[in-house]
Amino acid sequence: MIDATRSAARVFAAESLKQHRRLFGQPLVVFSMLVWPILQLATTYYTLRPVATASAAAAHWPLAADPHRLLAFLATGTLAYAFFFSLVQSAWHFSFERTTGTLELLFLSPAGRLTLMIANGAGALLQNAWLLTCFTTAALLGFGTLSVASWWMYGVVVLALLIPAVAWGAFLNSLLVFSRDSAFLYTVLDEPLWFVSGVRLPHFALPTAVQVVGAVFPLTGSLIAVRGALLEGETLGTLAPTLGWLTLLSALLLAAAALILRAGEAHAQRTGKLRLA
Amino acid sequence: MATATAWRTGRATTLRTWHMTRRAYPWTYAVGTVLPAALTIALGYLGFHAIGGGETGADFEKGSGTSAYLAYLAVGATAFQFTVRLILWSAKALITEQRQGTLGALLIAPATRLPYLLGFTAFAVLSSIAEFLTLGVVIGALGISIPVASAPGAVAGALALIVAVFALSVGLGGLMIAAGEAHISQNTVFIVLGLLCGYTFPRDYLPGYVRWLAEAFPTTAAMDVLHGTLTGGHTLTDLAPRLAISLLLSAAYLLLGVRTLPYFERRAVERTY
Amino acid sequence: MPDTGIEVRDLHKEFPVRDRGLFGPRTTKTAVNGLDLDIPAGRITGLLGLNGAGKTTTIKILATLLRPTSGTVRVDDLDSVADARAVRRRINLIAGGERMVYTRMTGRENLWYFGQLYDVPKRELRARIDELLSLVGLTQAADTMVERYSRGMTQRLAIARGLINDPAYLLLDEPTLGLDAPIARDLRRVVARLAAEGTGVLLTSHYLAEVEELCGHVYVIADGRHLAAGSPAELKTATGSLGTVRVTVPRVPPAVAEVATRFGATRTPADGGGEILTLRSPDHMAGPLAAAIVGAGGAITALEIKEASLEDAILALTDGTVPGAVVPA
Repeated sequence: MIDATRSAARVFAAESLKQHRRLFGQPLVVFSMLVWPILQLATTYYTLRPVATASAAAAHWPLAADPHRLLAFLATGTLAYAFFFSLVQSAWHFSFERTTGTLELLFLSPAGRLTLMIANGAGALLQNAWLLTCFTTAALLGFGTLSVASWWMYGVVVLALLIPAVAWGAFLNSLLVFSRDSAFLYTVLDEPLWFVSGVRLPHFALPTAVQVVGAVFPLTGSLIAVRGALLEGETLGTLAPTLGWLTLLSALLLAAAALILRAGEAHAQRTGKLRLA
Repeated sequence: MATATAWRTGRATTLRTWHMTRRAYPWTYAVGTVLPAALTIALGYLGFHAIGGGETGADFEKGSGTSAYLAYLAVGATAFQFTVRLILWSAKALITEQRQGTLGALLIAPATRLPYLLGFTAFAVLSSIAEFLTLGVVIGALGISIPVASAPGAVAGALALIVAVFALSVGLGGLMIAAGEAHISQNTVFIVLGLLCGYTFPRDYLPGYVRWLAEAFPTTAAMDVLHGTLTGGHTLTDLAPRLAISLLLSAAYLLLGVRTLPYFERRAVERTY
Repeated sequence: MPDTGIEVRDLHKEFPVRDRGLFGPRTTKTAVNGLDLDIPAGRITGLLGLNGAGKTTTIKILATLLRPTSGTVRVDDLDSVADARAVRRRINLIAGGERMVYTRMTGRENLWYFGQLYDVPKRELRARIDELLSLVGLTQAADTMVERYSRGMTQRLAIARGLINDPAYLLLDEPTLGLDAPIARDLRRVVARLAAEGTGVLLTSHYLAEVEELCGHVYVIADGRHLAAGSPAELKTATGSLGTVRVTVPRVPPAVAEVATRFGATRTPADGGGEILTLRSPDHMAGPLAAAIVGAGGAITALEIKEASLEDAILALTDGTVPGAVVPA
């Protein structure tokens, strides 16, 4: 058990270096993790402003009445979306290792497959998200809109973002490594993700069917927890059902990743093709 | 003589792109341009009803000249999707050749670049019709009807938008092949245009200095014409000055793009060595 | 763990093939059809055959990248399917012609990365990285990004990567493909040294001179099946491979012509006058031929002996000129 943990830790260290080298200081990271999200945030804010400033808006959604709170709502959405989408991007990038031949080397090694997927995602997340996190934290503090029940809720916020994001990353890595057409998955997960997860709209505004679809994505639950903890002063107790659901979902994603890896690798060993079908 | 050659180049490029695309349709492009527009309209629709209770704030009417928020948004989102698509085809034409390894063959051919790029644009405009229809279905399904204050004005606005985007694409394409990079440039251009040019919200919302910055893009004036002659209740005559500004700016960008393209092409070739 | 080597018994591998799209008829392609191999520790074993013979498929099965359809592969008494993870710790694979390294990391970081994946003991890893970098001549470039390496440097790094876990068994799939001559020579020296120190090596290569130089035992396969096996010398003998003797004579008087006919030598004009008598024969026939020519009153201006080559033996085997033979290892 100790040996397995130690080996896993070494895989994590290895993947962290790899992601650090790939991403740190790259212009793409600065753009995709800072410039674009900020500009998109402004566009969304202005696009929604006509309805947020309607006379009936304050009654439907009290938060809309205060532009700062509306911006804070959208900013948390932006941050969480950036977290989760950075994992879509890194999974897409990871699937390129198939063409460069390094994927075969990973499967040649004795390193745990699920460990590799998780480590890859976690490494990417750390590299990608620090910029935007700094910015969002500064913005939220600057807006003066934080309403946090107690100091440990910040820890809850961090965990509610990190753990589901890493599970999501591991699942995507496993899926994209064995998919014939990863570009398509990338496209499908880009736009619909912000829509169904309530990144730009409060949940009550989404039709039930969309909410049901959204519930399957860990981003949705993370957003509810993060916004509740940071902007609505919710406590651990009131957020318990959401956090419970997030934990279950994370476990399911990791289990699915493990299954995909096993099936995918067995298929590859049978047919010589790194594909699920 | 030159016109005949240019026509041949443009026509050949359109046909070539048509054949290649027919054989391997880049579905990710199509999905990637229709989905954002459809989802933006859906976002506005849900916000309008669930948050706004079917109404909009007073400053929206003042800035846009209409209270038909959904129609305004539908026009803007469709126009933005079209802009993105056009840039993806025209601006990326050369860098796609570069990536496929065919840029060298293109550069040594005696044909000039403008007809080639126009050929791509023609293809993009024609093939957009399918995407327009798809978006039209979404708009119709949501019960949004788009008023047309001036049909000639709307056509003029649409044409001005095509010309404006094409003019921007020429220079952008050159920058892309010189830098050997398209992802960052294209996405940055999309997001900046989407924020500044008044596609999905009235430009009055933006701070003063930002509005001035937006005037540098020919798409800004083109969108003023498009919005104005559809939901804004204006005639073409009312908006003729804006139309003129858009066309003048487009001409300037086109000239700049055409002048700098040979330089960028040389840089591109040197860079690969 | 006993060093019993790699034992392959009755190995079969079939790939499902779809001829036309999703709904076309499904057939199977047999890549390996009943192979038995033994790769003991401390010996370099060659695996030869024409393209499509099943060499790469066999190596990938031994590397646990592919699973056999039937048959067993045991590495030091561990089953390669049931105990895959343990097997992976004991082997490594170097495939020539492919780079397979991370371009956005330095050479040293690449080796460290794989060292982590192979769980190489920390105390040893640093020293081993330095040793390997020195071995492949990359010490100076160790801290430069691989994207700045030349092709040869990248290939050398790939070789170092293949040795990072100090494997008990090394699988080499055309390792010198595309390598510059000096680097290829250095690699051969490294491989020979590793075998001398106890590593079991399986080598596939199209450079038969290399195989002759390095391999103590060679398997020849075609269509996934055994054709012949033995040391290079045994294979040459078993297939009756013939060398060439060329004797240049200034004149061919009747007595010398009769000697040529008797030995079955062909006659061709030589540049600058005279003739060349060419005899395809086992090596030892050069002396008798020369003696007979001199005894018949002829003079010899040049004598060239070309030895029987492994290439001749392989060709004879694979084109069916000579039936296969199995010479015990």
